Amino acid sequence: MDLSARPARYAAGRPRPLIVEAPGATRVRLAVEAELGRRGWRAAAAPAETGLLLVCGEPGPDLAAAIETVWQSMPGPRARVRLPVAAAAAEVAEALDRARAELGDVAAARADALTRSAAELHHVDAPAGLAMAERGPDRDGLRLDVLRVPLGPVLPHWPAGLRIMVTLQGDVVQAAAAEAMDGGGGGSFWDEPWLSAQAGGDVTRGLAARRRAGAHLDTIGRLLAVAGWPAAAARARRLRDDALNGPPGSRLISAYAAFARRTGRSRPLRWMLRDVGVIDAAAVERHGLTGPPARHQGDAAARLRGLLAETAAALERADDATPLDAATEGPRGPVERSPSAALLAALPELLTGTELSVARLIVAGLDPDLGGLAGAGAGAATMRAAGA
Amino acid sequence: MRETTPWTVVALPIMLAGLALGAAALDSVLGAVAAGRPGPLRAAGDPLRAAARSLIAQRRVTLAPDRLLTRIGVISLPLAALLAAVVVPLGTEPVAAFPIGVVWFNAMEVAVWGAVWLTGWGVNSAYPLIAGYRFIAQGLAYELPHMFALITAALGAGSLDLTEVAAAQRGLWFAVWMPVAFVVYLISALAMAFWGPLGHPVSDDLAGGAAAELSGPDRLLFLAGRYTLLAVAAAAAVPLFLGGGAGPLLPAWMWFLLKTGGVLCALVWTRHRLPVLRMDRFMELSWLVLIPAALLQALVVALVVLP
Repeated sequence: MDLSARPARYAAGRPRPLIVEAPGATRVRLAVEAELGRRGWRAAAAPAETGLLLVCGEPGPDLAAAIETVWQSMPGPRARVRLPVAAAAAEVAEALDRARAELGDVAAARADALTRSAAELHHVDAPAGLAMAERGPDRDGLRLDVLRVPLGPVLPHWPAGLRIMVTLQGDVVQAAAAEAMDGGGGGSFWDEPWLSAQAGGDVTRGLAARRRAGAHLDTIGRLLAVAGWPAAAARARRLRDDALNGPPGSRLISAYAAFARRTGRSRPLRWMLRDVGVIDAAAVERHGLTGPPARHQGDAAARLRGLLAETAAALERADDATPLDAATEGPRGPVERSPSAALLAALPELLTGTELSVARLIVAGLDPDLGGLAGAGAGAATMRAAGA
Repeated sequence: MRETTPWTVVALPIMLAGLALGAAALDSVLGAVAAGRPGPLRAAGDPLRAAARSLIAQRRVTLAPDRLLTRIGVISLPLAALLAAVVVPLGTEPVAAFPIGVVWFNAMEVAVWGAVWLTGWGVNSAYPLIAGYRFIAQGLAYELPHMFALITAALGAGSLDLTEVAAAQRGLWFAVWMPVAFVVYLISALAMAFWGPLGHPVSDDLAGGAAAELSGPDRLLFLAGRYTLLAVAAAAAVPLFLGGGAGPLLPAWMWFLLKTGGVLCALVWTRHRLPVLRMDRFMELSWLVLIPAALLQALVVALVVLP
């Protein structure tokens, strides 16, 4: 027996998967995150950290190309799992089991390593004359290196299918262009109840309220994760899963109240979110923003406060069995007006001139749902807006 | 310089490895509790598995990296932590009883700046580069209050030798009568090990920051070095502010371990209680509040110890 088999199996016991979500695959991503939580597998932050790539949904050509680049650069032993939009929880669990077995299989890892050229992983033939970073004047009148860096689409705690090309000097964003990448067109999971009710489906107010709370908690979880508070982010994700398909409303409300108190009262968090990504009435008007950013104008701290309050209000109605007539105000705004398109259009202006960490907080707090763009028939999913 | 006692040379690496692993295990368990996983204690084994995975994983190299500088950066992190620890008395005896132990400790900890910067810069990738900037900014924010806190303890004891600083606290711990210096030291301990609320240089918003492009053994060395540094920062707090190995009943080395473990647990816990503090905001607090507070504390101590 191969002596390296046992350590390999031991090491593969708790993989750290890198999760990539195609727009419109929210349902699978939620199933994956829930299953990872049950197993105690933590998600990876970068390709270098992991040997397991989990692709949720069907990425379109551009996103697939980006994912392929990530896969090529992943160190072995490695495994890739593709989960279709309709994958059920059992299917997810089975796929993860298979991936773990593959990661612990020394022979397979060796075979994979042999098929990869040295250049692929090591760039041995990197040309010595690589282009150097150009220089340009920065905000303080200095001449500094200019880097063009894509944010996303494969980035932790990042909206599915979003790519923002930023021009960086140091860590300051000098210009930004946001783009929605193509997905499998699964439609928006978060807008589903309202779209379904519009189409004459049988939807209760309770279901819609739970979906709204889930959507907000998903956004809050992302914001907390990007704010560097992983424990609070994990609590938000857990509450999100409970809100979507968990216990009766009364239990949810008390569990949520403790979370909201702790998060809402955190002075360091408020200190870090103050003056971040200020959206005033003029900006709402200019970009046609709707939903929470229009209702809770101000900085990221104000938006977080608003989301926390809206979530509490939604959870109060979690058990309401009356039908959801013709209401169309989804978690991100009126579902028929694709509110995320406006968010996407507003991003370049909001990000320009900020530091990268602030830019990430702004994106996480607004959390555009690009599945909604395809679902609402926004036509060409690609949008560009030059930096201000 | 006094003679080195042989047992300390053997004990130091064992203690450091145990404390670093303990910190990683505690962090993992606290994470599992927050995520509401069934049986959170089982997560204690995760760091060992992650280490095994790193040893098995291939080494990934980015486009046109500066391999030499990256390697120097990655190796100097655990090395700096180990070298900083040699002056910390493990109970009563340090490995190297330098008369200027406090200065040595400070110098090794500043070598960490170089380690993180070289790692971030060497891999030739945008996120780690930005993480390098972040750590330098963090250094500017925490280093002055940190040095004043160290100097205050040394001033109280009238010596730069950590063993004598510990011995000077026979009657009363420095943590009790110089609380401001102690708190400032704890904050700067988090900052020097870029941990928890001061872990911006390796935070998730940069896909792991300085460690984003590290894989295989490089990653293991870097992360193990960081946990070791956190453990050393906690261990140094014991002779500086918590009376060293002094305590009833138990032997000195055990008191030292207990106190270090206590401080280390508190430091690890902050990651689960607080969000990351960005330097564009923290710098202001550091220079306008921490530095004056640390200076006032030094002044008070100087007046008290004036012969």
